[in-house]
Amino acid sequence: MDTIEETIEVAVPVRTAYNQWTQFKSFPRFMSAVKEVEQVRPAITHWVIGCGPVRRTFRTEIVRQHPDSCVAWRSLQRRPSHRGEVSFHPTAADRTRVTVRMEVQRHRAAALLTGPSSAVMRRVVRNELGRFKEFIEGLGQESGAWRGSIHNGHVRPTEPEPPRSRVARWPVG
Amino acid sequence: MKKAPRHEPEVRLSATSPRKWAAGVPAVTHALEYSLEETTARRTATTLLTMNQVAGIDCPGCAWADPAPGHRHRNEYCENGAKHINDEATARRVTADFFRTHTVSELGRRSDLWLNQQGRLTEPMVKRPDSDHYEPISWHDALGLLAAELTSLDSPDEAVFYTSGRASNESAFVLQLFARAFGTNNLPDCSNMCHESSGFALHETLGTGKGTVSLDDMHQADLIFLVGQNPGTNHPRQLSALEQAKINGGHIIAVNTLPEAGLLRFKNPQRVRGVIGPGTRIADRFLHIRGGGDLALFQALNRLLLEAEDARPGTVLDHDFIRSSTNGFEEFSRHIRAISWDDVLTATGLTRQEIEEVRDGVLGSERIIVCWAMGVTQHRHAVPTIREIVNFLMLRGNLGRAGTGACPVRGHSNVQGDRTMGIWEQMPDSFLDALRDEFGFDPPRAHGLDSVNAIRAMREGRIRVFLSLAGNFVRAAPDSAVTEEAMRRCRLTAHISTKLNRSHLVCGRTALILPTLGRTERDIQASGEQFITVENSMSEVHTSYGRLKPASKLLLSEVAILCRLARHTLGGRTGIPWDRFECDYGAIRHHISRIVPGFHDFNRRVARPGGIRLPNPVNEGVFATPAGKGLFTRNAWDMPHTPEGHLLLQTLRSHDQWNTIPYTDNDRYRGIHGRRRVILVNPADMTELGLSEGQLVDLVGVWTDEVERRAEDFEVVPYPTTRGCAATYYPETNVLVPLDSVAEISNQPTSKGIVVRLEAHGTAERHRS
Repeated sequence: MDTIEETIEVAVPVRTAYNQWTQFKSFPRFMSAVKEVEQVRPAITHWVIGCGPVRRTFRTEIVRQHPDSCVAWRSLQRRPSHRGEVSFHPTAADRTRVTVRMEVQRHRAAALLTGPSSAVMRRVVRNELGRFKEFIEGLGQESGAWRGSIHNGHVRPTEPEPPRSRVARWPVG
Repeated sequence: MKKAPRHEPEVRLSATSPRKWAAGVPAVTHALEYSLEETTARRTATTLLTMNQVAGIDCPGCAWADPAPGHRHRNEYCENGAKHINDEATARRVTADFFRTHTVSELGRRSDLWLNQQGRLTEPMVKRPDSDHYEPISWHDALGLLAAELTSLDSPDEAVFYTSGRASNESAFVLQLFARAFGTNNLPDCSNMCHESSGFALHETLGTGKGTVSLDDMHQADLIFLVGQNPGTNHPRQLSALEQAKINGGHIIAVNTLPEAGLLRFKNPQRVRGVIGPGTRIADRFLHIRGGGDLALFQALNRLLLEAEDARPGTVLDHDFIRSSTNGFEEFSRHIRAISWDDVLTATGLTRQEIEEVRDGVLGSERIIVCWAMGVTQHRHAVPTIREIVNFLMLRGNLGRAGTGACPVRGHSNVQGDRTMGIWEQMPDSFLDALRDEFGFDPPRAHGLDSVNAIRAMREGRIRVFLSLAGNFVRAAPDSAVTEEAMRRCRLTAHISTKLNRSHLVCGRTALILPTLGRTERDIQASGEQFITVENSMSEVHTSYGRLKPASKLLLSEVAILCRLARHTLGGRTGIPWDRFECDYGAIRHHISRIVPGFHDFNRRVARPGGIRLPNPVNEGVFATPAGKGLFTRNAWDMPHTPEGHLLLQTLRSHDQWNTIPYTDNDRYRGIHGRRRVILVNPADMTELGLSEGQLVDLVGVWTDEVERRAEDFEVVPYPTTRGCAATYYPETNVLVPLDSVAEISNQPTSKGIVVRLEAHGTAERHRS
């Protein structure tokens, strides 16, 4: 099990930083390792990450999410698996400390042969956090927001019927 | 490629031991063998290699979801899908000469198998009231005749418009629009006979009628229940998902009256270990339950979970979910604690130890899915059973999370989509208002007839015209004698069909066969080549493109037939652009996008590889129930009383069968060859009832009315069914399912819970003489 923890301070209010972080589909705009993110459901995302010609895909489930506080996830494949949490702490009215803490568990053999070392992963996370800072500080305001919460994988929307879930709901035989 | 047989096959029954595994190399060889008997190698290659691919033909065989684009096999189909698609792609043709040679009466004595083997219908045909022959008729005259009959009715409610799950979203939308513009909500469909109970139960408890599970959820589950379903025959591609779940470390519990091969082991023909190895064990535990005992089983499990919570408070139930997202827990809890173990053990036929071992499995699993099919939905207490399954899932928060949920496994490929498009006799005002606002007419508000009530109305002479969009209603419906009498009372029956079936022969005084393009065939309209869309069991809406040259130049598409009929019938009464719909299906989808929730920007989104994944509100934390929360319910069971000397009979498909159509007389996985009129009986029941292997018996239904329902000349086959429960094939035994024997609330025929006694064959004849 490799544990990585990286922190960065961004010069925007906690609400702005958090809101931007909920816009997973926008991550490829500013992160270099994230090539594509699909929001399958509010709690499930599909990620394509990579470097050069190499690509990796994985799904994650957000198991806990509280507005302006944290987003905790776990990967949905059994091996290699990872879990982690991004937390947001206001350090001033217009400054926020963003901390990413993640744990990665891999097959030992696979880790030796294919997996990036934890030092490399730590560097990637640090660099991507830097790009997040550059992006949100440059924009000054978030490009969207999802203010619902998630408890143990269960979604609790802020509105009784979010637009995305408006579907036919008469009985289907 | 073989010619159509002229005579019925004469083969004696050969019964061997049931198979203990499904698929493998024999599945490939049987699929190819059947395909090459029906059509050329080239057409077989075209159908199979484009089947279930992006921009390919959607298999009409079942509603199981396809893997995401980029993750599909080159051969993304199963044995039965291959047989089904090449049954449609057959090179055999039914022409006007065929109908000149054969009278309707003579064809009415032929088997379903023989009728299907004659091939594709090629031109419109009419049977006039004074004739025993079908004769050719032009499309203009055929649709004019039907329109004239419709416009002559005293009330639009004297017409019924039935839909089979083969119909695309586009044709289903057009049909319901036409029916409502004409003035009726009489829109029964095949859902009324398969998963109506699921829709009602899920809608009441979760606020959505659809399953909550995706293919990825199946792969990520820790424990999957397969209740009353037979994936090996009815949705074989589910076996690949179950295999993946097992590879990922999941476990499976099968609950069934029959140890079906596909529940036991799967040899995936696309993997080396499936071809030359032992394959994958599917069910880790098999519960040999009594028919209809599923409600008692889940109640017992729920009670055990409550007791486990009592013993270790805070460790078993998901209190956070129950508190925040559900209602009715306290009442449910009181009710479930009072159930009697004696009743449970009688109803299930299981031991308490077996149920407690399942409880242990549940406690060890963080993510649970329950799949079910008609072994659950076709019982008197089907709706309460599914509500109890929802209770079971909610107790530990197994809804709305990855790897969890409720999974009604639907059979026909677009049965779910047709309902989404408004094929339902009780559509809510919100939908009817949207139709009104979009098309400028006021749709009727009074609820129409479902399948069972349509048969009742037809029998009573209240229905004059019956139009069927695909399907084989006469054979799919219960109480065959009653249904046939009902059809014959109609003034006109019309069927939009690809192949000949008994519904063309048991018909109204005037009958029309309106031959249509199959899903495999290219559909070219004035604006160019068209595609259609379908919605699978997991709420994914995607395209299907026909690839083959049509079976005849005279075929019209389903959409074209319905649009022309609408023009003939309604003239300029509405401003609905039927011409444009026929010319460009994109115009239909444009209107769908403005009416059906979730279909915004339909044309653009559905054209993307993989199509549209409709969200399920439950997975978004939304429960569209009146209280805005999931509903715990208190359920009571109503087991059929099986007197001494009787058996509880279920009707089911053979492996070589698709819905009402058998492809051969064989049922390979169950070891039955050469005969369909068999009854599978537990050897201990045979001894108790004094039956011997190979004995010919009549099956006599027991019901509350005085009508004798008898299915004659069935051969007894000893089989490891649950004690007291027997099984036999439909549609031959639909004659035994009383029209009034329906599931409470859903009005679905109880084809899995019929009480019968067996009489030596010929007894009735001796009594009559």
